[in-house]
Amino acid sequence: MISYIAKRLLSGLVTVWFIATATFLGMHAVPGDPLLNDKAVTPEVRASLEAAYGLDKPLPQQYVIYLSNMLQGDFGISFTQKNRRVNDIIRDHFPVSAMLGLLALTIAALGGITWGAITALYRDRLPDVLIMLLVVFAVSVPSFVFAALGQLVVLKFNQLIGHSVIPVAGWGTFKHMLMPSLVLGLGTMAYLTRLMRSSMLEVADTDYIRTARAKGLSAPRIFFKHQLRNAILPVITVLGPAIAAITTGGFVVELVFAIPGLGRYFVQAVQQLDYTVIMGTTVFYGAFLVFMVIAVDIIYGFVDPRIRVDKVGA
Amino acid sequence: MSDTPVLKVENLNVEFATFGGAVRAVRGVSYEVYEGKTLAVVGESGCGKSVTVQTIMGLIPCPPGKVTAGSAKLCGRELLTLSKEELNKIRGAEIGMIFQDPMTSLNPTMKIGDQIAETLVVHRGMSRREGLTEARRLLDRTRIPEAAERARQYPFEFSGGMLQRVMIAMSLACKPKLLIADEPTTALDVTIQAQVLELMREIQREDGMSIILITHDLAVVARMADDVAVMYAGEVVESGPVDEIFYRGSHPYTLGLQQAMPDARHDAGRQLDAIPGSPPDLFAPPSGCGYHPRCPHAMQVCTKASPASFEISPGHQASCWLNHADAPRPETAASPVGSAQE
Repeated sequence: MISYIAKRLLSGLVTVWFIATATFLGMHAVPGDPLLNDKAVTPEVRASLEAAYGLDKPLPQQYVIYLSNMLQGDFGISFTQKNRRVNDIIRDHFPVSAMLGLLALTIAALGGITWGAITALYRDRLPDVLIMLLVVFAVSVPSFVFAALGQLVVLKFNQLIGHSVIPVAGWGTFKHMLMPSLVLGLGTMAYLTRLMRSSMLEVADTDYIRTARAKGLSAPRIFFKHQLRNAILPVITVLGPAIAAITTGGFVVELVFAIPGLGRYFVQAVQQLDYTVIMGTTVFYGAFLVFMVIAVDIIYGFVDPRIRVDKVGA
Repeated sequence: MSDTPVLKVENLNVEFATFGGAVRAVRGVSYEVYEGKTLAVVGESGCGKSVTVQTIMGLIPCPPGKVTAGSAKLCGRELLTLSKEELNKIRGAEIGMIFQDPMTSLNPTMKIGDQIAETLVVHRGMSRREGLTEARRLLDRTRIPEAAERARQYPFEFSGGMLQRVMIAMSLACKPKLLIADEPTTALDVTIQAQVLELMREIQREDGMSIILITHDLAVVARMADDVAVMYAGEVVESGPVDEIFYRGSHPYTLGLQQAMPDARHDAGRQLDAIPGSPPDLFAPPSGCGYHPRCPHAMQVCTKASPASFEISPGHQASCWLNHADAPRPETAASPVGSAQE
């Protein structure tokens, strides 16, 4: 198990290095530069700015500086926000995005497992048909539509009550998080529901469920102790990619709900060619995702005993 | 055989509704299992052997499955009309069941000990700890070495033969009156087969339970059975004590099965005589006797009327018109042993 984790972490590091390099090269291949936005830049000012940011150095040298700074955990200073360090931007705004994403993921996972189990239980009957119809809806409608719809629902609800119970936008309290995280998790929830449903049906047909019935176990006991745990396994494997889907989807949702998350800075930075912010956030997000996927794989090992191969002496 | 049977199946009919119509998988099956005895049910694949026992256990999905007629009584108590709760009290407690493929028949994410203990917790009201202690004893009894350690392992850490021992231990946990073994050795290699069968026999001697052994291996039948029921196309075509079936087989299908079996002593190098063709499509079973399209002795009557059950000797019945008083006596039907050596 230890060597397995070490191997995964090492390959994770290589992946992050690759992301960092690809971002660096990709960004320098884009026409224009971060100083182009400031209209009245005299050649002298431009030269001194380039010198200050190190943009006058040849590309390989810039790459080495960039990597060595990053290894020390320093992503540099933003080009467009005066004297703000990228590390500060991440530190201030990532927790907001992470909180939103975590809540969305929890809603998606719990909802997906529950709905999937229910549809499998009521296979081809009304609850199944109804839920699967909603699932197709939730998978196909993009999140910004749901975000707007969500705001509308919250607004109507508040009007009905007479005073503002759930805020329509903004950030700060738990109530602020409810609608955005629901909207953010919806697509993933729908996807997980479908996965869980087919997984439940597959497990229901297995020999060991037949054995459980031949043992005289009650239906609820078979459902919870035998079927559910085995059916959840494939759902856990896709949680890693699901985290990716939720974080990237988060940029849009953050924008609609006016949430001060990292996504907004990320999008802004791309528009303004703010090199350091783009690189910092991309590498940070990339590393985050890579290690979340590894974490999910390790968790999987604890749920499925068959993965824990190199245990004691075996 | 004087006492009442542990299990008595009478005129059982099971159908499966499919898109193309009803498949009549079991057509009027009757057999009896006596205390401490083993009934072997033999026949090709798709003859309704498994469906019959799964119906008794309430394991066929309904729908599409449906019992259209018949009864199955455990010690005089009707099983087919029980509610789910009542049936659950019998399954695992009074009837144990083991299956063909032990590798897939155990929950892959649950420890062996827990899977055995579960039966005891549910039926005997034991605590988990008591159940685990008993599970270790049962594993010990089915001769699994280092039972205590093995109980903490998962199915994937066991070999096929060991897993079938686990299945036996699990099905015997509550000392059932009847053990149904649905092709318990088909997925195992031959040396392991012998060990598993020997284990079943030994436990049967000690506990006095009855066994229904489903198999298509006549060598296994000879080794294990007291009585035999030969099934074909969803019907029992011949039944009786094991010696009667082997030495005085009176149905052409029984004889066909015997001739398809290799025998090292008598006929090394002989070409085995497989029965030509395959079992009929049970969407539309053949008219008359289900075996007539493949039967070398088929007569006109066989295509028209279902044969009655003829008593060959006490307890030995065969459903074949050849046993009718008016039937011609072909050599094969009258002296099967002679014909096999021709």
